[in-house]
Amino acid sequence: MAVRSILLYPDPILKQVAEPITAVDETVVSVIQDLVDTMVDSGHSVGVAAPQIGVLRRVLVVDVSKSKLGKDNNHGLLKMVNPEIIEKSGSKMMREGCMSVPDYTGNVTRAEYIVIEFTDRNGQLRVIEASGFEAVAIQHELDHLDGLLFLDRVSSLKTDLYRRKGK
Amino acid sequence: MNHFALTIVGRDRPGIVSQVTEILFNQGCNLADSSCSILGGQFTMILILGHPEFTNLASFGEAFKPLEDADLTVALRVLKPGGEIRPQIDGDICMISVYGADKPGIVYHVAQVLSEKQVNITDLNTKLVGTEERPVYVMVLEAVLAAGVEEEDVNHWLAPVRDELQVDITVRTIPTVEL
Repeated sequence: MAVRSILLYPDPILKQVAEPITAVDETVVSVIQDLVDTMVDSGHSVGVAAPQIGVLRRVLVVDVSKSKLGKDNNHGLLKMVNPEIIEKSGSKMMREGCMSVPDYTGNVTRAEYIVIEFTDRNGQLRVIEASGFEAVAIQHELDHLDGLLFLDRVSSLKTDLYRRKGK
Repeated sequence: MNHFALTIVGRDRPGIVSQVTEILFNQGCNLADSSCSILGGQFTMILILGHPEFTNLASFGEAFKPLEDADLTVALRVLKPGGEIRPQIDGDICMISVYGADKPGIVYHVAQVLSEKQVNITDLNTKLVGTEERPVYVMVLEAVLAAGVEEEDVNHWLAPVRDELQVDITVRTIPTVEL
């Protein structure tokens, strides 16, 4: 159990592809717990991916249930190992910010609806459907596992990027 | 560090950005914010730049002469201290699309309503599209709504403009999320 510090770009770890998990052992359970602790500690975060705390393994946590945009449509606290999107449709634009890229936000269009397959913390394979803000949050965190930041997804700096509103 | 706003306009062709930024680099300027785009047949550049020693246009000497020789129009504005810092703008972000048969006053009438309501426009682009016989005017702008202002309010304020100018207007807020 530990709150870890969030790596900030240009830390090179954020641009690397994370390694798949072969077995959900104690080390993986411990990473999951650190991710949850770090997310909860930040107060406003709805998701953290392992590379953001310096761990290059395919693990992420998402919880939009306490946010205004996600409170009516969510799966609560999701802990995902080796997540993979197997279906996506629709599109939704949100102005995303990221704890690893402080002070900036940018408009990003992502799938509105996704079907995602992952291994849970008990090692069970699960498939869920997510939509709206929860789907956006999962896609944002999943990008971190592939070394992608929302900066890789914005279409134009001119209209899309400016200082985040007050914290 | 002193800051300047530099604007450059000229007939579009390959090589303008390279020529301009080579000069700025050699002068020891730092580029901060910039926006460059093709408008009509013109390539336009707006740059906010800093320099540790330069204080005014004279500091640049003849540096911009090659640009003027290449038929580019160059204008330099000296910023007051702090003029390079973006103000903190709080509020929901709202995209407004306006389009319809081309006629005079579309931008003005929409902007007038937003100004009266203290809506801050942060980005605005317009394009004339369609055919020569049936030109269509398109405007897309981004604005920041003051606290308490909702998408429906903006729709309501713009309704008279929609009717008067016979244009289509859609307003949509974009939620800001930290992930």
